[in-house]
Amino acid sequence: MNRAASHGFWAEAWRRYRRRPLAMAAVMFVGFLITVAILAPVIAGTKPVLCRYKGKLYAPCLGYFDRRLEPVIFTKDRFRGEYPRNLKEKDPESWAIWPLFFQDPYRSVRNNEWPGRPANPSRDEGRPSRTNLFGTDQYGVDVLAKMVHGTTVALLVGFLSMGIAGTIGIVVGALGGYFGGWVDMLTSRITEIVMCVPTLVLILALVAIVDKPTIWKTMAIIGCTGWTGIARLTRGEFLRLKSSEFVMAARAAGAGPVRIMLRHILPNALAPILVPITFGIAAAILMESSLSFLGFGPPPPAASWGSLLNDARSNLSMWWLVVFPGTAIFLTVLAYNLIGEGLQEATDPRLREARK
Amino acid sequence: MQTRSEQEPGRWPRWTLAAAVLIAGCGKSPNDDLGVGPKVDVKPELSTSDAVLKQPMTPAAQPATEPFEPPPLADLDAKASWIDRPVKDGLVLLRAAQAAEQVLCSVADAVALKNDSAENNGKILSALGRLPAESEADTQARIDRHVVGDLGSTNPIMISTSAEFDILGLTGFGLFSFGRDLEPFASAETVVSWQTSADGLLDKVVMRDDLVWSDGTPITAHDIAFSYTVIMDPRVPVPAVRSGTDQMKGVHAYDNQTIVFFHKEPLATNVWNINFPVLPQHVYETTWEKDPTLKDSPEHVALEQSPVVGGPYEIVDRTRGQQIVLRRRESWSSVDGKKVRDEPFFKEVRFRIIEDPNTSLLAIKAGDIHEMILTPEQWTTQTTGDDFYERNTKATAPEWVSFHFGWNIESPFFADRRVRRAMSYAFDYDEMLEKLCYGLYQPCAGNFPEDSWMSPKKKLVPYKQDLDTAEALLDEAGWIDHDNDGIRDKEIDGRLVPFEFSILTNQQPLRIAICVLMKDCLDRIGVRMNVKPVESTVLQDLTQKRKFQAYFGGWGSGVDPDSSENIWKTGAMRNFVNYANPEVDRLFEEGRRELDRAKRAAKYARIQEILYEDQPYTWLFWRNSFYGFSKRLRGYVFSPRGPFHYSPGFGSLWMPSE
Repeated sequence: MNRAASHGFWAEAWRRYRRRPLAMAAVMFVGFLITVAILAPVIAGTKPVLCRYKGKLYAPCLGYFDRRLEPVIFTKDRFRGEYPRNLKEKDPESWAIWPLFFQDPYRSVRNNEWPGRPANPSRDEGRPSRTNLFGTDQYGVDVLAKMVHGTTVALLVGFLSMGIAGTIGIVVGALGGYFGGWVDMLTSRITEIVMCVPTLVLILALVAIVDKPTIWKTMAIIGCTGWTGIARLTRGEFLRLKSSEFVMAARAAGAGPVRIMLRHILPNALAPILVPITFGIAAAILMESSLSFLGFGPPPPAASWGSLLNDARSNLSMWWLVVFPGTAIFLTVLAYNLIGEGLQEATDPRLREARK
Repeated sequence: MQTRSEQEPGRWPRWTLAAAVLIAGCGKSPNDDLGVGPKVDVKPELSTSDAVLKQPMTPAAQPATEPFEPPPLADLDAKASWIDRPVKDGLVLLRAAQAAEQVLCSVADAVALKNDSAENNGKILSALGRLPAESEADTQARIDRHVVGDLGSTNPIMISTSAEFDILGLTGFGLFSFGRDLEPFASAETVVSWQTSADGLLDKVVMRDDLVWSDGTPITAHDIAFSYTVIMDPRVPVPAVRSGTDQMKGVHAYDNQTIVFFHKEPLATNVWNINFPVLPQHVYETTWEKDPTLKDSPEHVALEQSPVVGGPYEIVDRTRGQQIVLRRRESWSSVDGKKVRDEPFFKEVRFRIIEDPNTSLLAIKAGDIHEMILTPEQWTTQTTGDDFYERNTKATAPEWVSFHFGWNIESPFFADRRVRRAMSYAFDYDEMLEKLCYGLYQPCAGNFPEDSWMSPKKKLVPYKQDLDTAEALLDEAGWIDHDNDGIRDKEIDGRLVPFEFSILTNQQPLRIAICVLMKDCLDRIGVRMNVKPVESTVLQDLTQKRKFQAYFGGWGSGVDPDSSENIWKTGAMRNFVNYANPEVDRLFEEGRRELDRAKRAAKYARIQEILYEDQPYTWLFWRNSFYGFSKRLRGYVFSPRGPFHYSPGFGSLWMPSE
């Protein structure tokens, strides 16, 4: 065997994946979304990215990630959320680096808040314009700002919920598949029971019961109910692999069950498991959008693509409330599905052969 | 005095009992498209709805009524020195009023108008609000009305939500009503005479003898006395109508036509207390004892589906969650082949149940419904084009429905009056009125409508946003950011409590938007508020149990100011915010006993002033009526309680014959 042929499984998969332009575009799109999510307060906001005030440097924009990260001095000095005017008035020496778009995802920009700029248009007058590229909603809140900040929610929902689902699914599936017998019996029954729990109803119940229904709790529920498919697939892979020669060899060498599962079987089983996880991310994003559309998403005024679509429902002539968030949801879900499909074809030897 | 004798055929009674309704269940009501919150209406016209709250709905220990032996009628007549009270026909009153009004434009012009100015609104109301001339109305017409929720029950004494009021108001029988000016009278369609004793302790009514239930049995005074007994039976789970009747000592039928109401005290509110729904005695007297829930036994289940009714309409079809169809009852207008009353204009009334306002707007544009309440957004941006005006027009008028943030005074945050005032100073009213409410609603300073008789002569000025004052008040109350985390806090019981609380609201977008605006305003002064939209039923439950820190809600003002006692009196059931002020309690007591209108007004004006100072609520706005009507409809006339909930109300609507 020559050196060129001795690529590892993952390097080989990646090589094959790269050949698929659509799948690559999807990866780049998700990369773009991650960048947008991380840089959201830099892209759109009304709080300076960085400013020098009374001799010190501050980054008030961090307040968009967590309200507690916003420097207290601005509350003490009664800025009341309006930075441009107050910075100049209270410290003429101050300077600030502003976000790319001076728009807030949670409220309408007031008249002259940014020197010389009128208040955001409200009602149905907020068509896309130079100041509001994607237009504004009925209450004058900028759609672009909402979408940029909503990206964080969309991505987090996908990654976190499937992170939880993946962990639970793999553990349960691995235990059942590896040990068989009564363990398998037990885990399979648990899986079947959880499959019967309707996620949507559970989330609606949570919203009604919990005092502060946050997006984190929603993610936890999507994660805790969405692992069944992963568990079944993992179980199948483990059942198949546990009697393979390299596992027997490991066992003969004295490796314990945990080591065998983690070190020997899991890496070989991971490829097919990743596929439903990727599709699951897409499903979770859709689920969050549906929930927000129905009014059960993250508590207001949280920015979410689905809630933008919901706003559009009351006035369909405001096409910009449908087109932009709708496209964003569509593209994101499509991207994850393409990645899933790409992974499947890059890692499944049968599909690989078929494509040759 | 326009008292009419029973020979003159009148219109149907339109007893306007339950505009008092709580908006239970559906959380929205036809007169409440924005939903007026947990319990919308302050039991407007009579002291109905506090019944729910004052009286336990489960079998109670309290006796139904105290044993009471009515004296012979001759004795009463000898001592009472009766004073005649008005017996009127709402439609005749309206016709007389319209005869004196100048018509601002022709029907053809009004139909072609777009309602884009106060002037055009006036023209539309003037021309299209007229009653029909002789044989101008199509008496075979059907009207398709819109309601946002289904009926909980078809039994009139179970009336509670606004949808029930809309429908049971047409099928139910009643002796009393009130007109556009909200002045009470006995209905000429059912009553011959109404007298009150000089001491105010008795009311005597002589009913007409040409009234029959839908099964052909005559309606008599005994039915009314029987209904009183059933309503006062603590085993019967009456949700709303018991609170007026509980102020009475008893009700006694002396013969088939004569009924006397005995009051405990000569109250100004007695006139509303005698107005309650009526059940057919011959139907319920055997079933009621067996099943006091009035809904569980097979007989009651059957009655629920096809009730025996005494009003001008009867229910002929009911598809749950979709529609309820009423048909005009011939036995209402003619008895033994003789015409005794005018028949209602519409032969059939179909109520379409549509919860979502966007769907109902599509329905009215398609001509599937003939009327609906419009939201500010719909009024301003979605009913301006030809797609709406092709089949419809719209009209607006002031209405006595106000909205507020309620602050739970027993929570650690809002016990201090200064904090509540700070909340009121923090809110951006201009932004709310202009942007969120499309400039359609009026600022509100307190619980009584500004132009009503019970409001203070010196107008109260609605609060304006003043963040400096708000911050100063919070500082004064000890809410200062001690730990430098950007949130104000205060040491309570040795623990530093940050000023962070939740506000409950239902899920209507406008309400959420108003709460979000408040959140932003408070955020600017170092107070954190979380907006928590919940289902209407959950909101009702939590507010009734006082399990909240703040909530967004609304009330429809009662016709009588006494109706808001159960919102402000210490410990009253609808006093969700736990407000307690002995002076307010005393003033309500005195107001009820004061019979002189001017002196009474002074007491309620004082209550309003005290509430303004105390700010247990942050009053936000008065919501006007905004209705879309089919161009085929005529005769809509607005009262402070909207176009339907008074006399004649719905009874004045008609369609011209083609």
